[in-house]
Amino acid sequence: MPDVNFIVDGKKLTAPAGTLLIDACKSAGIEIPAFCYYPGLSLQAACRMCVVRIEKAPKLGTACTTTVAEGMNVTTESPEIAQARKATLQLLLGNHPLDCPVCDAGGECELQDMTFKYGAADSFYAEPKNHREEQKWSPVVYFDRPRCILCYRCVRMCGEGMDIFALGVQNRGSSSIIAPNVAPSESPDHMAALDCEQCGMCIDACPVGALTSGTYRYKTRPWEMNHVATVCTHCGDGCKTTLGVRSVNEGSEIVRGDNRDKSGMNGDFLCNKGRYAFDFANNIERLSSPLVRQSDGKLKPVSWEEALTFAGKKLRELRDAKGANSIGVIGSNRTTNEESYLLQKFARTVIGTNNIDHHRTADFVTLATALQGTTTADGKPRFASQRCVEKSPAILLIGGDPTNEAPLTAWNIRTNVRLNKARLYVANHQDIKLKRQAKAFAPVAEFGYAAFIDSLASANDFSTAVKAEEKLVVVVGNELRGGELAKLIAALPHAKFALLADYANSRGASDMGVLPDVLPGYQSLKGSTLASEYGAAGQSQVADAPGLDLLGMFDAASAGHLSALYVVGSNPIKRFGIDASALKNTFVIVQDMFLTETAVLADVVFPAANLYEKAGSVTNSYGDLQLVAKAADKAGVRSDFELIVRLADKFGHDVKTLVPFGKGLRAAGMSGDMGQTRGAQSGEADRHSVWLTANNLEPKLSPFDPFAILDEIQRVVPGYDKLLRLQLLSGNDQHIAPAASGLVQIQTGRKDLVLPAADTLFTSGSLTRFSPMLQDVQRHQASEHTDHLASAD
Amino acid sequence: MGYFGLRSAVKISQRASYTGDHMSIIKNVTAIAKGMGITLREGFQPTEVENYPDGKGPLRGARLEQRFRGKHELQRDENGLEKCVACFLCAAACPSNCIYIEAAENTETVRISSAERYAKVYNIDYNRCIFCGYCVEACPTDAITHGHGFELASLNATSMVMRKEDLLVSIKTGLPDANKVHAEAVS
Repeated sequence: MPDVNFIVDGKKLTAPAGTLLIDACKSAGIEIPAFCYYPGLSLQAACRMCVVRIEKAPKLGTACTTTVAEGMNVTTESPEIAQARKATLQLLLGNHPLDCPVCDAGGECELQDMTFKYGAADSFYAEPKNHREEQKWSPVVYFDRPRCILCYRCVRMCGEGMDIFALGVQNRGSSSIIAPNVAPSESPDHMAALDCEQCGMCIDACPVGALTSGTYRYKTRPWEMNHVATVCTHCGDGCKTTLGVRSVNEGSEIVRGDNRDKSGMNGDFLCNKGRYAFDFANNIERLSSPLVRQSDGKLKPVSWEEALTFAGKKLRELRDAKGANSIGVIGSNRTTNEESYLLQKFARTVIGTNNIDHHRTADFVTLATALQGTTTADGKPRFASQRCVEKSPAILLIGGDPTNEAPLTAWNIRTNVRLNKARLYVANHQDIKLKRQAKAFAPVAEFGYAAFIDSLASANDFSTAVKAEEKLVVVVGNELRGGELAKLIAALPHAKFALLADYANSRGASDMGVLPDVLPGYQSLKGSTLASEYGAAGQSQVADAPGLDLLGMFDAASAGHLSALYVVGSNPIKRFGIDASALKNTFVIVQDMFLTETAVLADVVFPAANLYEKAGSVTNSYGDLQLVAKAADKAGVRSDFELIVRLADKFGHDVKTLVPFGKGLRAAGMSGDMGQTRGAQSGEADRHSVWLTANNLEPKLSPFDPFAILDEIQRVVPGYDKLLRLQLLSGNDQHIAPAASGLVQIQTGRKDLVLPAADTLFTSGSLTRFSPMLQDVQRHQASEHTDHLASAD
Repeated sequence: MGYFGLRSAVKISQRASYTGDHMSIIKNVTAIAKGMGITLREGFQPTEVENYPDGKGPLRGARLEQRFRGKHELQRDENGLEKCVACFLCAAACPSNCIYIEAAENTETVRISSAERYAKVYNIDYNRCIFCGYCVEACPTDAITHGHGFELASLNATSMVMRKEDLLVSIKTGLPDANKVHAEAVS
């Protein structure tokens, strides 16, 4: 579109033709108030707040529906406009209760702000206000009808944005009301209810307090909380959630989750879990003191020092007596990159074994090896970012159900199709909801994805259309693994690829080498520089041979060959359906928030902090690296990072070789004086800090500082060497591609090693049962008779 | 008065000596007598000193002005329900940050205030309170007022944190007689 010149409030502005006046003014720093206008949604022109004077127009016009034109002369503030807006506000306040002191939106209400600005608090209406009782539409969505100003943002957000259409408008004129999709007559308790994805986007969009959140209702006020933007722990999409935290006796408690920040790659979006399912952190069942199994077979709370000393010494005894390879380590897909890296370094250099694995939810190893060294037609790496799904002109979705498993991916696909007319191709064995947006749909038999990949080579309508796309992003569900995935990547040689995984840091755990057969960044166990560095740092040479995978460890335990097992933030007993008796002769150490099925079998249990209670970085399933900020705090728990370091210390290991910190910092491959023994040179420029700066490192003072290990990750993990500190610490996402040569293809012995979590919108692995809100929503969804989501087609 | 009288007398006598006017001595004596007269008369008036803490009545002789800002009181409405709706505006207005509130929701069975929300916890830390009255200004429901309680000194700092129970007016004293019976029945 060509640029046009126009004048707003005497300022000469330029914007592409077709830009809405309200947007053009906003980018020039001129704010025009509006209730019904919401960027990205269709235009409504319902509220009349954005009226402006456009020269030569007979009356005031709405800036939200007017596009800029050449020579246009606009006035946005004048006594005439202020009077018009004030009159609008007086009409809106005609029936709006003035209960701001109890309203949840008080303090962050757009109507309140506007009333404050235009001073329309006095009303001409003598009639009493029409009061209606508040309605509970679902455990998480409440509706206060008199507060509603009928801007229709929620209706459009639910319909256009979420593609659910659960909200609508009933009646006409002044008796219009927003109504949910389950009428009182259809509902079991004869109250109107919402049968939807319970994402709460309507609450975020609501400019007033008409729609309020069930988890935050009447708890506190917006200015009483600190707002921390961090990455959601639940699925692998990497949404940012803004957590409102407040001081309590036990530290600081999360009171609210929402998308107030809007700085993440999720833009406006946040799903049910990101918004409400933080309550597991406040669950009363959380462990808050270390437990050690006593001679009577019971777990008893003991002091940290006692538990750590016992665990470290016992682990050392077993290592020395039975050998390093009799010990197994299981990592987590919810801990930070720093913790995952540290854990595999602990296994490889402190214990000296490659028996390390985690619950894999997608086959990232195959993805990394198959894409290695190849580029798209214009020479770019073929790892797709979440941003690609939002912008790419064509998307192919094979397998998976993003609506349930990766809600942001689904949102981005929908938004891209709606706003940019992107072409979506879907191949799936189910009629997934995203089929509605698809240009073409290829039905696939269950477990028949291999045949589908073969059919891509033949000339049918679907494959021809897909192959004609020049800039294609392929989003692959976790049905495809190993050889099938490699074949798919080979069949579409110029497309970008992304793999959907579950949990916040599945990709990070793989990238950080929490795997038995590869080192961080999928480097070979044999011959890589990292392998020799680990050999130097460890107490014994790191073995060349791959270690036991997760299932192999339990097989070894059943056979009586596993002397000890160290489980960090994982529940393999439940996830993989392993018989509890397998571990009866194994010394088990578990770090977790709750007494899970795995933790009850442990000899030592350490209460661990969750992702909302620590700092670090995580990588989403697309490889977008983001900063995790510490929001909450709970007395009696420690971060996994600290626990690993302290366990290594009690094990009798020199902690400085595990975490580079303090004076005497040793960077591998750089031996000799790096300035820390300055002696004669003291008083001169600090050569050490100069060297650190030149190498993008910085001195760390604490062994519990995760950024000490981030320095090392940046130095040794391919792909992560390109990360930009400024981007990371500013809270921006950046795309990481493991781009080193020499990545290795591993031989997966068993197909069930990759076990997708099969989470829905209302489950999140082991955390589900510790989140009362998720339980409530599940009960609510189950109680609705008709399936409104299915019937919306 | 006497002092000023004397000073002016000295000034005048100085001027008088320049002019040689002997009548000024009489004038000066009169002025002193007038000043001392007022002093003496005031000396025989009844005392205005408060007899605190040995006086009569519940205040033990203390007399407080109507607008005296003492220990806060949390008021009740005519039905005996708490007026406070836990809007946190007092805490936001407080310059010394001494008000701590936890809000909770009224239910059908447990109704504490007349609005949707009530203060489950309402603490004022009198170690920090400066009795500025901003909280009273901020309160949209006139729930918090300054009472006349002033005997707040303590040797134990922890006892200076007053809880809602310490601040809330009782149904007996906080309501007009006509409403008491009903309110007591409700509570």
